[in-house]
Amino acid sequence: MFPSIDRAKPGLQKLVAALRETYPYASVLAVADDARTWRVSRTGANISASGTGGGTGFVVRVLDGAGCAEYSFNEFSEERIPGICAVIAKRLTEQNQALEGIAPLPAPIPADEPAALKKTTAWKLNPRELGDEAVVGKITAIREKALAVDERVLDAQAAVSYRAYRKLFLSERRDLDQTVMWTNAMVSVMASRGQEIKMSYRPFSVLGGAELLDEMDAGVERVARDALELLDSRPIPPGEYDCVCDPATTGMIVHEAFGHGVEMDMFVKDRALARSYINEYVASPLVTMHDGSAVDESATMFFDDEGTLTGDTVIIDQGVLKRGMCDALSAARLGVAPTGNGRRESYERKAYTRMTNTYFQGGRSTPEEMIASIENGFLLETPSSGMEDPKNWGIQCMVTTAREIRNGKLTGRLYSPIVLTGYVPDLLKSVSMMSENVRLSGSGHCGKGYKEWVKVSDGGPYMKARIRLG
Amino acid sequence: MIERIKSALERCGVAMWRINETVEETAELFFVKRQLDTRRSKDVRKYDVTVFRDVEDPEGGKPARGFTSVRLIASMDDARLDEELKGAYYAARFAANPYFDLPDPVQAPMAQKTGELAEAPLARSAGRMVKALFAPDTHQDAFVNSAELFVSRSSHHILSSEGTDAAYVDARVNGEFVVQCREPEDVELHGAFEYDQLDEQALSDKVAEALSFVRDRARAQKALASGKYDLVLSGNAVAEVLSYYVSRSSASSVYARYSTWKQGEDVQGETTGERLSLTLRATVPYSMEGIPMADLPVLENGRLNAYHGPNRFCRYLNVKPTGFYEKFSCGNGSVPFETLKKAPCLWAVTFSDFQMDAMSGHFSGEIRLAYLIEDGKTIPITGGSVNGSILEAQKDLTFSAERYLTAQYDGPYAVRMKGISIAGPGE
Repeated sequence: MFPSIDRAKPGLQKLVAALRETYPYASVLAVADDARTWRVSRTGANISASGTGGGTGFVVRVLDGAGCAEYSFNEFSEERIPGICAVIAKRLTEQNQALEGIAPLPAPIPADEPAALKKTTAWKLNPRELGDEAVVGKITAIREKALAVDERVLDAQAAVSYRAYRKLFLSERRDLDQTVMWTNAMVSVMASRGQEIKMSYRPFSVLGGAELLDEMDAGVERVARDALELLDSRPIPPGEYDCVCDPATTGMIVHEAFGHGVEMDMFVKDRALARSYINEYVASPLVTMHDGSAVDESATMFFDDEGTLTGDTVIIDQGVLKRGMCDALSAARLGVAPTGNGRRESYERKAYTRMTNTYFQGGRSTPEEMIASIENGFLLETPSSGMEDPKNWGIQCMVTTAREIRNGKLTGRLYSPIVLTGYVPDLLKSVSMMSENVRLSGSGHCGKGYKEWVKVSDGGPYMKARIRLG
Repeated sequence: MIERIKSALERCGVAMWRINETVEETAELFFVKRQLDTRRSKDVRKYDVTVFRDVEDPEGGKPARGFTSVRLIASMDDARLDEELKGAYYAARFAANPYFDLPDPVQAPMAQKTGELAEAPLARSAGRMVKALFAPDTHQDAFVNSAELFVSRSSHHILSSEGTDAAYVDARVNGEFVVQCREPEDVELHGAFEYDQLDEQALSDKVAEALSFVRDRARAQKALASGKYDLVLSGNAVAEVLSYYVSRSSASSVYARYSTWKQGEDVQGETTGERLSLTLRATVPYSMEGIPMADLPVLENGRLNAYHGPNRFCRYLNVKPTGFYEKFSCGNGSVPFETLKKAPCLWAVTFSDFQMDAMSGHFSGEIRLAYLIEDGKTIPITGGSVNGSILEAQKDLTFSAERYLTAQYDGPYAVRMKGISIAGPGE
């Protein structure tokens, strides 16, 4: 796939060599992108191959006397190399003059250890080869199945997105080449009660292709029934409760409540409380947390956007915070090894420390045992959003549904929407049961603050903890 | 490139199309404390092409109309252009929707933007805004922890098979910053900004206000008890709450029956407080479909004045296509802010993330800083969450006379609502 990368490679190698004549470090990341989204809803059918991926283009990184600088562009040929070098030099001169008096943050020259790699992830069926007619036909049938569940169903949406990309990273001593394909899908159902519309959804994801479509059918009626149940939901009495989190809710807590706080560019900025807790207990001994590419999910890759090879990073080991995850520039500033977490929204954006596939390891309990152990509490399902607070470890996560548990049994009463708040270590130290099976979901994108969206997955087992709900 | 795309469209037999050419140049700066972390710039040129295709009705009725979009870049050779466009045209058959007319054609010369931001070198504008951002950062106790600044200039060219040929230039400066205060508690607050002019004073004022708030957050107590409060929201949270009305009045929501609102209808219901007046504001001369944009009063005294939205959904509702708006203004507000928050209330200043769910009407967020105002005292509070419904709150809204202006909102700085549910960590 993506022969344009092969055609551009000799020129890009010359570009790196030309830049190295001026700068002590130079690299280029080339991205070729193919993405498509198919969606059906009451508003109609929509197929788009525009703007859903990261785009095709190039980003150069150089280090000069004022630190790190990057230039993004999407038109390249060997003839353009002198022009690109000249633009970079001119822009840096202009910017340095406009910032006279502002000191640079020291940026050590990267070690640029030699590495070469060419790898591709596996897929069974390329969605583009399956064809638009088949994909739209399949998701239309799924939508109709949801609409048929009950006349109170206002609308159902079904969507499939896929992205295949090839990335080539070149520096003086690195030549890394990877091709990755992921596919995501979603079914959402809306039901109305007057002006209020309740929605339930189920995501699907795979590091692979259109084989995911076979999974969509099975869950659609449950999604419709969940939306209908929500019509009778009520606001929750605020308070602290024993809760069972489904794997998706566990994943949101892993990612939003804790994961962002161990992104080590936040350590450089003195924005992460976690920096003071390395080798300290931050969670129950039942909690072990991973990030990386040891699992096959939407964020799996062989190297990151700064040319660092990926692996499996153990963040929390049996309740003890061992280390954070780190991009290359922050790692050089902190004097630690990078972990392959330097990621960009696209070739047009800066690389930051970002999570990849982030999850809690499983335990030995069952969801049924957890529910049976609760006198007065809730089963939390279907997370809808979350926001990080690395500085103060405050939690803000929202879930759509809280199912009431009384005397060890689900009562059938529903509460919605639910806001989870509190202090992260309090929640993690309260974890008292984990189920065996771990489930990850990679259907979402993660922002850094309020922007910089990258593909991630998160998850874990069913988890029992004490949580403040409102 | 545009001529190459037109030729490729002709070769592929595509009779109905739209081309959006976007050329963008940026200067981007990233800081840790007052030190320069990274400098970035970019030059990108993109071509988003939408192809339309009619699918005949076997029963002789009006054809269905499908469409698909693809992104093309100049480095693609003609064979690749043909491949992409043929693929899109083929796919459009399977995205067939009820028939709709394409936007009426518009021909207009390039609409230039004036002012320093549009005309000065990007690096110089970036340097000036950085100095404005750090200007209030003069104290030891509360300071700017980190900041990002993006200055962009872009040109947009819209062409269509119907004869549209319109273009405009846009320029923006946006970014975000984090302020920190270490004593007595080490805390931070996040701020974001976006301007369409080189508004150095507005940025300095925003940072100065954030520094003041973060000092208060550092001494805030986690003492808020759960219960119902009269809630005062300010700044971006007001815009977020009011975005419910923008969403519910959109032609796409109405067409999909997510909204049952009808033009002329009282959508606010019975009220004892202020009646809402909202206007959608044109920030660019043309929408991406080439529809000329103009300010549009959408709510007048709580009644729906007009639907709004892109061409297809407006055509379905038999209303004039308005294009997609990125900004709205609210004409409400007559009570001085000091009066608005005089009676006992919780003034929630900043959240970790404050969101309005336009489907359900629920708004919520975790409180980073609030002031509990009662018995003549103002106590800084942190922690806890707001969970309210605009369907209830809209019955009694009071807005401040003071205004708040961003790239997406121009309206009252604050709103007061009655009896909002708060979950707090205190007793």
